[in-house]
Amino acid sequence: MSSSVAAAVSPTRQALRRARKDRSARLGAVLVVLLVLVAAAAPLLVKLSGQDPYTYHLDLLDPARGNAPKGALGGVSSDHWFGVEPLTGRDLFSIVVLGLRTSLTIAIVVTLVTSVVGTLIGISAAYFGGWYDAVASRVFDFLFGFPQLVFMIALGIIVPAGFPRWLLLILVLSVFGWASLARLIRNQARSLVAREFVEAARSVGSSGWHVITRELLPNLLGPVLVIATLAIPGYIGAEAALSFLGVGVPPPTPSLGRSISDSIAWVYTGADPWFLFFPGVALFVAVLGFTLLGDGVRDAFDVRLRRTT
Amino acid sequence: MKHLTRAVAVAAALALAAAACNANDKSASGGSTAAAEQGGTWHVLTTSKEVNLDPAKSQNLGISTIHLVLRGLTSWKTEEGKGAQLVPDLATDTGQVSDGGKTWTYKLKPGLKYPDGSPIVAADIKYGIERSFAPELSGGLGYHKSLLVGGDKYTGPYKGGDLASVQTPDDTTLVFKLNKPFGDWPWIVSMPAFAPVPKKADTDPAHYGEKPVASGPYQVKSLAPGSKLELERNPGWDKSTDQARTGLPDSIVFEMGLQPDVVNQRLIADAGDDKFAATTGTSVPAALIPTVTGNPAVKARVATSSSGALQYLAMNTKRPALSNPEVRKAIQFAVDKQAVQVAEGGPEFGGELATTLITPGIDGFNKFDLFPAPPQGDPEKAKQMLAAAGVSNLTLTIVADNSTATGLPVAQAIQQGLKRAGITVKLLPGLDSESLTDLITGNKPDFDLTVSNWLPDFPSALGNIQPLFASSEIGNGGYNISRYSNPAVDSAIAAATAESDLGKAAGMWSAVDKQIMQDSPVVPLIYARNAFLHGSKVQNFYLSAYPPYPNQLIVGLSK
Repeated sequence: MSSSVAAAVSPTRQALRRARKDRSARLGAVLVVLLVLVAAAAPLLVKLSGQDPYTYHLDLLDPARGNAPKGALGGVSSDHWFGVEPLTGRDLFSIVVLGLRTSLTIAIVVTLVTSVVGTLIGISAAYFGGWYDAVASRVFDFLFGFPQLVFMIALGIIVPAGFPRWLLLILVLSVFGWASLARLIRNQARSLVAREFVEAARSVGSSGWHVITRELLPNLLGPVLVIATLAIPGYIGAEAALSFLGVGVPPPTPSLGRSISDSIAWVYTGADPWFLFFPGVALFVAVLGFTLLGDGVRDAFDVRLRRTT
Repeated sequence: MKHLTRAVAVAAALALAAAACNANDKSASGGSTAAAEQGGTWHVLTTSKEVNLDPAKSQNLGISTIHLVLRGLTSWKTEEGKGAQLVPDLATDTGQVSDGGKTWTYKLKPGLKYPDGSPIVAADIKYGIERSFAPELSGGLGYHKSLLVGGDKYTGPYKGGDLASVQTPDDTTLVFKLNKPFGDWPWIVSMPAFAPVPKKADTDPAHYGEKPVASGPYQVKSLAPGSKLELERNPGWDKSTDQARTGLPDSIVFEMGLQPDVVNQRLIADAGDDKFAATTGTSVPAALIPTVTGNPAVKARVATSSSGALQYLAMNTKRPALSNPEVRKAIQFAVDKQAVQVAEGGPEFGGELATTLITPGIDGFNKFDLFPAPPQGDPEKAKQMLAAAGVSNLTLTIVADNSTATGLPVAQAIQQGLKRAGITVKLLPGLDSESLTDLITGNKPDFDLTVSNWLPDFPSALGNIQPLFASSEIGNGGYNISRYSNPAVDSAIAAATAESDLGKAAGMWSAVDKQIMQDSPVVPLIYARNAFLHGSKVQNFYLSAYPPYPNQLIVGLSK
C-alpha cells in the first residue's frame, strides 16, 4: 500500500478496513447482527412458533419428577423448540428470545445514554477546565469507588413497586455507567485541547460549542466507539445479574437472568439441566458477540494495542 | 397467630451441590425402622439466625424448640397420623372451669424442680405471664393478653405492678379470671408465656432468653449468637411428671443461619453427624423432588404432613372492582388451583387442593365445595358469571412476596389462571415479607389480590377463622387481609368462641366456614403440606395434619 493512498483515506475508514480483516471481529459482527435481528423480530418469531411466554402447559410436565418437563432435552418438540420451563410448562423458546430482546434493549439504551452523557461531560470538563473539571473529576472518582451492585440491589428493593422496572434498570445502570467513559474521554480530550488546531480555532474566536463539536468530537469518536462497544456486553451481564438477584424486570416478563437464576436448582439436582442450557447459551452468545466485535473495533482504532498478526 | 412464609428458598450454591450429588448414591440404608434409644446428640439444622427462648417473646407451637427447655401448665401430645392432643404438663389436669366459663383453676404437680433443686411455684408462672405484657418483651403469642381481666391496660411487672386476674392463693394453685367465656383456654395455657420464670432470675429481661431457667428436660449449655445453640440435660427434670416429653437425646445442637440448600443437601447426603440431624422448618423444594423420589433411601427420610397451613388468595373486598360478591365468585372459578399446586411442589409435596377455610386435622373441618370446578378451574363459567354481573375488562393488581421461593411463581400461576377468564392481573413485585405484611395488614391496603398462608397457633377452628374473617381484625396489623366484614359472621364467631363444649363448638365453626365461603372473600388454594428431611439415625420424626411440624419433644436417636 503506497503512502499516497493511505493519506487519502480517513482514520475511521482505515480502522474499518482493519476491522474487516480481523477474523474474530468478523465473527463478532455476524453474531451481533444475528442477535439484533432475533431480538428485533422476537415477537414475530414467537408468533411463528405458535407459542407465547405466558401460557401454562401443565400437561407437558411430569409430576413424578417434581414437574420437570416430560421428554428429552427439557421437553423439546416441534411445538416447543427449546422445550418448556419446569413447574409451569411455559414455552422456553419464547422466554429466551423475548428475554434476549429485553437484555439487548436495556444494554443498548444504557450504552447510548452513557456514551452521550459521558462524552459530553468528559469533553466539556477537559475544555473548560478549572473548578468545573475539578468537580467533574471528583464525581468520576466517587462513582468509581461506589459499591454499585450493592447500591443497585438496595435501590431495587426500596423503589416503589409501581415504578416501571425496565426504566429503573436503565436509570440505575446509566447513572453508574457514564463515569468510566467520561474519565477516559476527559483525559484524551485534555491532550487534544493543548494541540495547535484547537488553539487555532480558539484564536479565531470560535465558540466553545463549535470547538467541542467540530474540533474535539471528531477526534474522539474512535475511543468513544471502542468503549461503547466494549461496554455493551458489560451491561448485558449487569442486567442479567440484577435479574438473577431478583431486582430486574418483574415476572412474568421474560428475562434471561431470572431464567438462569430459576434454573440453578434444576441443574445441580440433574432434574432439568436444559432449563439452564438455552437461556445460558443465549446470554453467552450475546456477551461473546459484542465482546469480539468490541475487541475488533478497539484493535482497529487503537494502533498501539493492535495485534501484530 | 402465624402468618407463614414458606421457607423453601433456593439460593445459588453450585459447588456444594455438586459434591452433594455424588454423595446421594452412597447413602444406602435409611428409613425409620430402628428404635429410638436414650443418649446421643441430635443436630437441628435451621435457616433462622436466632432461636428465641424467651417465653414472653416466643411464637413457638406446643411441639417446638422452646418447649424442650420450658414447660407450661398444659402441653401437646402427638401420635403419628392423628391430631395433637392436650395433656396436663406442670398442672395436674387441663383446667377446672367455673363461673360460666370465665374462671379457670389449675393445681401444680408435686415435686417439680428447677435445675438447682429449688421448687417450681405458682408465683413463678404468674410472673412469667406478667412479663409477657411488658411492651419491651412483645412479639410472643398473646391470646391471653386480651382474655385476662385488666389485660388491655396492664403494662407488665416492671412498671405496672401485678396483674390481679392471675391469682396464686398458695404455692401450687393458679386461678385465671377471664373477661368472657373462652372454651379453648386449656390450649392457651400451653403457650410459652405460661412457663415459670423465677422473679429473682429475671435481672436482665432483654437477655433472659439467652439462658432461661429451665423447667423442661434441657437447659442452655452454650449460645453462639447466629451460629450455634447447645442444649444439655436439666438435672431438675423428672420424667415421671411429664407426659409430653421423652427427653431421649443427651444433648441437642441447633446449627443456625444455614442456607436452605445447604440444609437439604446435607440431609440428603446423610454423612457423619448429619445422620443424627434433621430440619424442623426447611421444606424440600420442587427441584429436589426428583432426587428425593428417585432414591428410596432418601425418600424414606422425608417426613410429610397430610395437611398444614391454608394457602389462599385473598380478595380485597373494599376495592370497587371486588366489592361485588358475584365478581369474587367468578374468580373462584377462574383460578387455576392446579398451577398453584404444581408451583408448590405438586400434590405429594405441595398439598391437596383446598375448598374450605378450616384445614384437615382440626375439629370443625368438614369437606364441602361451594364452587365445584376441575383442578385447573372453569374459566368459561367465570366468563359467563362476569358477563352476568355486567363486568368486562376487569383489571386487578396482585402483590407478592419476592423473598420466598414460591411467592412470585404462585402469583404468576394466579395471573395466568385469571387471564383465561379475561381478567388482567398486574403483578407488583419488589416487596419482601416485611413490607408485604405491612401493606396487606396495614391501614392503606392499596392492592386487590394477594396470596397468603395461615396456620393456627393451636388446633382449634377458632384459629383458622377468627383472625382472618372477624371484622375486628381489619387493618392495624390484623390479618383480615380481604377486609371482610359481616355482622352475622361476627356474632357467629363470638358464639362459637364462647362455647366450652368443644364438640358442639366444632359444629358451629363448620357452619361459620360455609357461611363465610358463601360471600367468597378468599379463594382457598391448597392445604399446604410440609416436607422435611431427617438423618437416617433420627427416630420418632413425623409430621401430623396439625401441627405440620415434627414434635421435637419426642425425637430420639438410634445407634
